[in-house]
Amino acid sequence: MILLFAALAIPAVAGTALILSGRGSRPLSGGNANMLSLVASLATAAFVLAAVIARPVVDQQWLPSLGIRLQFAVDGISAPLLILTAALSVAVVVHAGSRPPHGGSPATFYGCLQLVELGALATFFARDAIIFYVSFEIVLIPMWVLISRYGDSRDLVARADASGRFVLFTVLGSTLMLIGILALVQASGTASLDALAASRGAGLERHTQIIIAALLLVGLSIKIPVFPLHTWLPPAHTIAPTAGSVMLAAVLLKMGTYGVVRLVIAPLPIGFGALAPAFAILGVAGIIWGGLACLVENDLKRLIAYSSVAHMGFVVLGLSSGTTVGLQAALFANIAHGVVSALLFFLVGGLKERWGSADLATARAALREVSPRLGFALIVGFAASLGLPGLVGFWGEFLAMYSAWNPAPDRPLLLMRVLVVVAVLGAGVAAGYSLRVLRLIWSGDRTTPAHTDARGGEWSVLAVLVCSVLVLGVAPGLVLNSTAKDVAAITAEVSR
Amino acid sequence: MSQAVVSVNAGLLLPVLAPAAGAAIILVTDVVVQHLRRTHYVIALLSLLVGAAATVAGLGLGRVAGEARRTLCLPDGGQCMYVADSVTSTLQLAALLTAALTLLLSWPDDKLESPGGTAVIVSLVLAATAGATAVAGARDLGTWLVALELATLPTVALVALRGARSAISGAVALLTAALVSFGLLALAAGLWYTATGSGFLTPVAALAMVGDPTRRPILVLAVVVAIAGIGFKLSLVPFHAWTPEAYDGAPLPIAAFLAGVSKIAALAALLVMIRAIAPLGAPPLAAIAIVSAVSMTLGNIMALRQNGVIRLLAWSTVAQAGWVVLPLAAVSSSAVHASGAYLLAYVLATLLAFAVIAALVQIRGAARARDLAQYRGLLGDHPILASALALALLSLAGLPPGILGLVAKVAALRPVVDSELWLLAVIAAFNAVLGVAVYLRWLLVVISTSDPAAKVPAPAVPDGVSPVAATVARVHPATLVAVGFTAVALVVTSLSPQTLVGMLGI
Repeated sequence: MILLFAALAIPAVAGTALILSGRGSRPLSGGNANMLSLVASLATAAFVLAAVIARPVVDQQWLPSLGIRLQFAVDGISAPLLILTAALSVAVVVHAGSRPPHGGSPATFYGCLQLVELGALATFFARDAIIFYVSFEIVLIPMWVLISRYGDSRDLVARADASGRFVLFTVLGSTLMLIGILALVQASGTASLDALAASRGAGLERHTQIIIAALLLVGLSIKIPVFPLHTWLPPAHTIAPTAGSVMLAAVLLKMGTYGVVRLVIAPLPIGFGALAPAFAILGVAGIIWGGLACLVENDLKRLIAYSSVAHMGFVVLGLSSGTTVGLQAALFANIAHGVVSALLFFLVGGLKERWGSADLATARAALREVSPRLGFALIVGFAASLGLPGLVGFWGEFLAMYSAWNPAPDRPLLLMRVLVVVAVLGAGVAAGYSLRVLRLIWSGDRTTPAHTDARGGEWSVLAVLVCSVLVLGVAPGLVLNSTAKDVAAITAEVSR
Repeated sequence: MSQAVVSVNAGLLLPVLAPAAGAAIILVTDVVVQHLRRTHYVIALLSLLVGAAATVAGLGLGRVAGEARRTLCLPDGGQCMYVADSVTSTLQLAALLTAALTLLLSWPDDKLESPGGTAVIVSLVLAATAGATAVAGARDLGTWLVALELATLPTVALVALRGARSAISGAVALLTAALVSFGLLALAAGLWYTATGSGFLTPVAALAMVGDPTRRPILVLAVVVAIAGIGFKLSLVPFHAWTPEAYDGAPLPIAAFLAGVSKIAALAALLVMIRAIAPLGAPPLAAIAIVSAVSMTLGNIMALRQNGVIRLLAWSTVAQAGWVVLPLAAVSSSAVHASGAYLLAYVLATLLAFAVIAALVQIRGAARARDLAQYRGLLGDHPILASALALALLSLAGLPPGILGLVAKVAALRPVVDSELWLLAVIAAFNAVLGVAVYLRWLLVVISTSDPAAKVPAPAVPDGVSPVAATVARVHPATLVAVGFTAVALVVTSLSPQTLVGMLGI
């Protein structure tokens, strides 16, 4: 119990202290803020790791008038996401140490990162549906500050637009989700996620399940994001500072898919089953749409944002299949996308700072000539992104398509198979845009204008992520074994 | 002693009697010793605190629900004209503390008043507060009507007393609204009497007419007309038009009073009626649903267009009033609690915003403190005040770290979802987004870095004095107390919302 509270209290206290100390007569210097933040993130990561191993459970009264309890726990589904969050929180701090933020007090920047971590960890720890919603909302304002204060300052109107769009879309999504949660809690009489999952929608009529599932899915689809609700994502990613883009892509988007598993698939199997075909169609539309956008997009950060939409499409396809394999695939693809998008956003963020823009049309020095480390990491990142076997991206996409080819008995077989064929085409498009980017910025023999290669903190972060891409690609069981037992518990009824 | 017509328990009536007695004492003192200023404030604050202390026994903290204390009861076990249960006591406490904070905010402006003006202003505030606490406990039509007007009419004078042109037009708008509202409420009272044959606003009275279906429509009409009458006081659309005028024209502390005590009084009056009809198992009230949806939408859209912070807060009041009555669309006991909880969260956050503006008026002058654009770079210039303002705005928006506002939003939506009013719930969700846009628009200005070109050169600060200390030194201590108290209260209730929500009982 102490482990859990420490894992949440450290980022909360450190974040608040950093934000408050960045002001006043003697603001904290950037170096000190970075050091403090690093210590806090490492301590948090240690406690998260301990909590993942020890699996403590917290269940305390918080707001008895509304029946809200502070329920936190760890299980196989949340454990990989918790580790991903804690590890990337350390990584962004290390990376920001070698490439400091611009636009305001550094202490506030690190404080906001700590609060984003707090919100993400609390979301994955939460075992009460309302606490899940509250945690979900914690990340909003810090992330909004990161984008609106520390984002790309060349176009202030675009920056205000991007940050505003991010926060407004997400609030709409989470408020719709809140309505769905309240309806779910009212209908099933409990707010405990474990009790909800155990009931498997027993006693809820089909149309009630469909209404609640629709509210929750629309709300969560904004967060994931699912086509056509993704329009907030590309500007937010493009404008956000590197650390913000990484946390956004690698952690915040995962909260959406995690929510679908916890709040929709587990407690409302019939309602989700009815909506799954539509959900799958939108997912595959996202794969194609994101891929086509990537083929013509000339802003590198925006391109990676669109590729995120495509990758989340595979997650949606896996979720919709209704099988154990599909759910496993979705959760694995979640983690895979977290690692790969973090790697790519670290790379692209660093390149944008070196180049001064992220425009692909401008002729630049080839990465393999002037910065072989960045070049190598970029090759690995895009190779994983296009789903090359042996790398982390392969398993999630392959298993998602496999599960959709053999979906649960209550899913329309023909439709799902057609969707798989289209998704395969989407994977082909992914290969196309990945190679296009590599041709444009990696290959060639231009050596001007020269820029520095990655070193220090930046290089160590990239190296660790490259290693993770390789290790998880060779041994996907590390994640799959963790989630297997709890996924089987959820789908036992569904796949019957 | 049983010959007495009604039983009287003075201790129970203290939340009403204390401010009323305070007002009387101040007027008498002013006759005896003229031109006092500080004494009046001290007497007023003391009387408000005595009243507040008297409410504590009635709060719902850890008590069994439904445990109500009654007085002014008719003989032979008849109905009571004054009932103080946990909801009543909480609203009374909120009204008394809000009035005390308003007085703290108006204390520094005291030197602007004409000699003797202090006694008038302070006693008017106390009188209106006594009306607010009385209406919360009132359970008979006469007391209910008179107390509600007692809570309203002094505010007209308070708005007008400044004498500026904008104040007069604000006061006229408020007076007109108050008169129309009184007419509607009197009509509602008459209809209620026709429907139930009883002068009491209690479930017992309402249940008496259940046997006669022809009287039910009259009862519904009574409730709808009462909603219209109270809608004026709560600033619900379409009865909201006076709000921006009056807020903008009134002195700042009086605007805070209108946003705080007046709203508490209005909701308390509405809750008395809703609780009386709740046991009838009434269907959802379409009137409240429509008024609520339109209020939040129009209020938010208009607030988005404002460039003055007082007008922005005025329109935000309109929107928030929609949220306050939102749960009441589902007529139930939990809806009453939800509505009360939302009101408390709104009042606390709004008071903090007003307190910060009052402090900024003293530092930067009224013109700068009232103009939204002038808040640019506030975080850099006055970090403490800006942080407090940010907390207030985020609470109003219902986003962490303003967790109190978030919890209030959850509480307000819950009865709506429980009654399966899906359309209303979705409209509310879109308004949550609009509301966030309203408050973040202000917050974005506050946290953005100030434009170096437009920066006024800072006044010289003596060596060794930090800018923060210099800032604090120029704000009146009473204002600082108000900012500090509301900010601490907001932080504490955000960490542990139960402290606030629990007061209302279960």
